[in-house]
Amino acid sequence: MEDLTSGPPLARGDTDAARRLSDAALLGRFADGDAMAARQLTDRLGPRCYSVALRMLGNRAEAEDITQEAMMRLWRIAPDWEAGHAQVSTWLYRVTLNLCRDLRRRKRPDPLEDGIDPADSTPSVVDRMQDAARQDALQSALDQLPERQRQAVVLRHIEELPNPQIAGIMEVSVEAVESLTARGKRALAAILAERREELGYENG
Amino acid sequence: MKMADHDQELDHLFAAARQHRPALPEVLAVRIETDAEAVRLQRLAPVPRAARPIWRRAFDGIGGWRGFGGLAAASAAGVWIGFSAPAFLPDPANYLLSQETVYLVADLSLDVVILEETE
Repeated sequence: MEDLTSGPPLARGDTDAARRLSDAALLGRFADGDAMAARQLTDRLGPRCYSVALRMLGNRAEAEDITQEAMMRLWRIAPDWEAGHAQVSTWLYRVTLNLCRDLRRRKRPDPLEDGIDPADSTPSVVDRMQDAARQDALQSALDQLPERQRQAVVLRHIEELPNPQIAGIMEVSVEAVESLTARGKRALAAILAERREELGYENG
Repeated sequence: MKMADHDQELDHLFAAARQHRPALPEVLAVRIETDAEAVRLQRLAPVPRAARPIWRRAFDGIGGWRGFGGLAAASAAGVWIGFSAPAFLPDPANYLLSQETVYLVADLSLDVVILEETE
């Protein structure tokens, strides 16, 4: 296989060249001093990291700090990254989840300070409010799940990752992932059932 | 509500969550890229001299290990010459060990000499 970790630096705006490179190849180029590789990795991995952190924490400011810290660890590990050791995204998801867990342990969960806003393209104000309420309800229900169940449910049903990758991220077997996801979904359903009247879900 | 309805409801919520997946805030992207640039430049730049401890700077000042080796050899040679001088050099050990007292007198009264000559 062609070694793409070395080679001429990526030109600004040369997204086609960058798109052909794997995350590990881009990381190798960053370690060699290629600044554009960092930009590509930020575009590619930053949103995933932020999305997971936001779902795990339910707080934008904290999710931003965790994302920045996780990406900082990626920049620092770049020269020591061993090709073929693990997928970069798997490693980054694991680091992000661990940082979220540590933050939550330090600071017991507060009521949601900053719910996740729905998109503004829904047709009516009522629909928008219901949509927002549902998203807040999902977030607060997720917040009540045990840590490992929440991780499994977020990675499987919101990030849509395959079970083998989730197993790699969480460092458990695929069977354990399936079990955590199933229990997490049951628990979510029970929490949401209690709030159904409040949500007005029958109207949606 | 049946279990299948619960699952359907959850699936709707997950679908909505996926649809509203947040974009990376622009400010955060800038923060991340600034970090990356700082790490990259730090890796490319040599360690600043001022960051090294003072003993290390002094050690480098005498030429590092090479300079230190030369200094040690010169010191050893000096000690050796001091106690076992070659024939063509005066032996300082004799001065130290002999019972004789040697006086070295320097006449600094040049003004007297000059005065005597002018008189």
